[in-house]
Amino acid sequence: MLASVNTLSIVFGTIFAPLAAFLIAILFLMRSPRLAQAIVLAGAALSVTGSIALLLRGPVEPLRFLWFASGDIQLRFGFLLDGTSLMFGVAVTVITLCVMVYSLGYMSHDPAKSRYFALLGFFAWSMLSFVYAVDLLQAFIFWELIGLSSFFLIGFWYEKPSAANAARKAFLMTRIGDVGLFIGILLILQYFGDFDIPGLLNADSGLVSAVAPATLTAILLLIFVGIVGKSAQFPLHTWLPDAMEGPTPVSALLHSATMVAAGVFLMARLHPLFMADETARTVVICVAAFTALLAATMAMVDRDIKKVLAYSSISQLGFMLMALAAGSLFAGVFHLITHAFFKALLFLCSGLYIHHLATNDLEEIGRRGGRRMRFTTVGLVIGGGALAGIPPLSGFFSKEEIFAQLGHDGFTLFTGAAFAAAFLTAYYTFRMVFLVVRPAGGDCGDLNDAQPATDGGHGGRAEPWSMVTPVVFLTFAAAFAGFYGTDIAAGLGLSPAHHTLASALPAVGVVLFGVAIAWLDFGRSNARRRGFIAAVPALQTLFVNQWFVDAFYRAVVVRSTGALATLMHWTEAKVLDSGFDRLALTILEWGKRATRVQSGWVQFYGGCAVLLFGTLALCLYLDVGIGGG
Amino acid sequence: MTEQLALYLFVVLALAGGVMAAGMRHILNAIIGLAISLLGVAGLFLHLGSPFVAGMQILIYIGGIVVAIVFAMMLSLAMTMRPPPANRLKVWFAGLCATLFLVSVSLVLSTAQFHVVETPPAAPSWAIEHIGHALLTHYNLVFEALSVVLLLAIIGAILIARQEKPTT
Amino acid sequence: MTLQTYLLLGLILFSLGLYCVLSRRNLIGVLIGVELMMNAASLNFMAFNRYSVNDPATGQVVVLIIIGLAAAEVAIFLSIILNLYRNRRAIDVEELRELRG
Repeated sequence: MLASVNTLSIVFGTIFAPLAAFLIAILFLMRSPRLAQAIVLAGAALSVTGSIALLLRGPVEPLRFLWFASGDIQLRFGFLLDGTSLMFGVAVTVITLCVMVYSLGYMSHDPAKSRYFALLGFFAWSMLSFVYAVDLLQAFIFWELIGLSSFFLIGFWYEKPSAANAARKAFLMTRIGDVGLFIGILLILQYFGDFDIPGLLNADSGLVSAVAPATLTAILLLIFVGIVGKSAQFPLHTWLPDAMEGPTPVSALLHSATMVAAGVFLMARLHPLFMADETARTVVICVAAFTALLAATMAMVDRDIKKVLAYSSISQLGFMLMALAAGSLFAGVFHLITHAFFKALLFLCSGLYIHHLATNDLEEIGRRGGRRMRFTTVGLVIGGGALAGIPPLSGFFSKEEIFAQLGHDGFTLFTGAAFAAAFLTAYYTFRMVFLVVRPAGGDCGDLNDAQPATDGGHGGRAEPWSMVTPVVFLTFAAAFAGFYGTDIAAGLGLSPAHHTLASALPAVGVVLFGVAIAWLDFGRSNARRRGFIAAVPALQTLFVNQWFVDAFYRAVVVRSTGALATLMHWTEAKVLDSGFDRLALTILEWGKRATRVQSGWVQFYGGCAVLLFGTLALCLYLDVGIGGG
Repeated sequence: MTEQLALYLFVVLALAGGVMAAGMRHILNAIIGLAISLLGVAGLFLHLGSPFVAGMQILIYIGGIVVAIVFAMMLSLAMTMRPPPANRLKVWFAGLCATLFLVSVSLVLSTAQFHVVETPPAAPSWAIEHIGHALLTHYNLVFEALSVVLLLAIIGAILIARQEKPTT
Repeated sequence: MTLQTYLLLGLILFSLGLYCVLSRRNLIGVLIGVELMMNAASLNFMAFNRYSVNDPATGQVVVLIIIGLAAAEVAIFLSIILNLYRNRRAIDVEELRELRG
């Protein structure tokens, strides 16, 4: 009893500290950026300690509070503290703190610092509430709030039209996914009557036993639509590259590690349900595999460092979903956690380059002497290695798990797709690394002689301590997190797949092959510095234009919606509005005509009175009238 | 026999006068019709047993009221003016109203049952003294009120018809 | 003659008077109609007086009152007509339309 009460306080502290910080900052501290930063950082630090404390305590019974009850339906809010949420919660809070510390340096010259930090606090609250949610409706509410924070943060520099458009696009596309998710949730309510997640997952009395298989498939596919939107899978993936308009720390936090991972996390939460339905799993794995390949092809031809990392996130999320759909909860969650660390690391490194060298372009970064920024480049290499899956970095271990699960039933189409995607991952990652580290013709920039950066950066010290510390920390995390695989599996109540050297070889081989090709294309001293894919111009065009998906959306979806909107507007203005106006005018007309009865002709009035009297007399004669005969 | 004839004559007079009053275009003809009708009704009063009232009818109504109407007509030069054209719609409407009224009330009348006293009361109660006695005792209030009304009517008539004095 | 007959006769006279009131353009014509209606009412009273009443003085008194009131009413009516004629030079009913909506 005592332990339970304490746990509740810790949970409240962890989740609501950032909210309190947000409220204080947004209400009172808009003019005092230093104080706002301090308050929000304090809230984040509290969250970190709280989440670690919860993790150390281990899984406990869920804590539930009744929100309101209506008939048979009970809506609750509460906290589900099981292995998945505890571990991912720690990852979220730690990366949030890293990003906030980093932002101290990155946003140091931005006039709207207070709003930025306040919004980060708001995001932290929403994300943590989502992770620890016990009720599906509660999870959905915070799912939406995460999307809202993303909107605010992507459009942080809202005076820039491109940023405002990107924020709107992100919100709308995730919203499309959210519609599917919401319908799925409502179907759960209709067929099952309750939103409690442990209750849903119960093998004996949960959702699986309560609904017909076809209904279960429908529900799961609808939920997957929400996941597609939030985790930027095909076809709702185009918002993520545009979301790079936001400040780089925001990209590091939201669009690599936490927010887009929410979709994967949801699927991990509902994993037992997905495991019960063959059709849903097949759909998920197909979409995820296709997305992984699609995004990797787009990453390998892009010149903007942030865009490459964005495509990479999309691709890796596809990997995670493939793992989950193939059946391994551990593989998916493991990769989720390692990816959070190394992707955040990569984004923060890119932010350092952008901040100091005033460019996003990979070749320019190389040319201006990016490689001389030591901490950053080391971080870039380690993070890139982890992303590619080079042993013994963390990414290798988590990708191994994925390959093991995919190859569980022998070599299938999906295993092949995963290998192809791994090859491309290694290729584009090391393309990025080599472009920075081995620029064509050497670098000609003097690090101390930099111009003002494009997105809020400033000249001065190349690697201020506030930005370097998180990078160093994350470098260690990306390097060594893989060794905690067994612990993570134990936390989930599972065991990792059995690996031998032989089973690991194909994956390592594919990865090294990718690195080798990248070396050939970009790393050698006399490299041609064109991707190998440039040999096939059609494919090159396809990849560079992002497979024309965005163009298609613009031409078809946006135009047709615009046409529909115009039609609606016309209907309202011409038909409804003017229709009602005309009705009103007609009534007025009739009213005016009716007033002519009061003509002022007394004889007419008198005649009417007589008529009335005569009619009454007739009725009297004929015994016609109201009442009893 | 002559009584019957006289009765019918008076009925005819009353009706004919009424029709004249309603139908004639020129206002003087209408007034004449009114007078004839009043005369017929006076005769009917006589037949109904009250020579006094008949006499009063002729004296006051015909001799006073109709003459006053003629005077007013002369003062307003209505006699010399050409009667204005009648509005067809109005005429039809008025006709409809009057006809409807007539028909409906006569229908109701046909079904009405009145308490009829078979033989009229004895002669002395029909005497004029009886009327005078009733006026001054039983119907005293009405009598006095009537005199007040007449006074007010005269004052009112004078006030309304008075010429406006030009202000100097 | 029965009571019904007298009443019917009175009704016919009343209707004729009603028609006058409703259709005449001249105010004096309206006055004529009003007089006819009052007259018909008197006839009714006298008929009831003869056939239905115990004390025959009742009906006669009423008729006398009616005649007196008719006289008073005519006096007022005619003075109004004179006033109207002086101010508007016409006593056409259709021109007196100021009470309208």
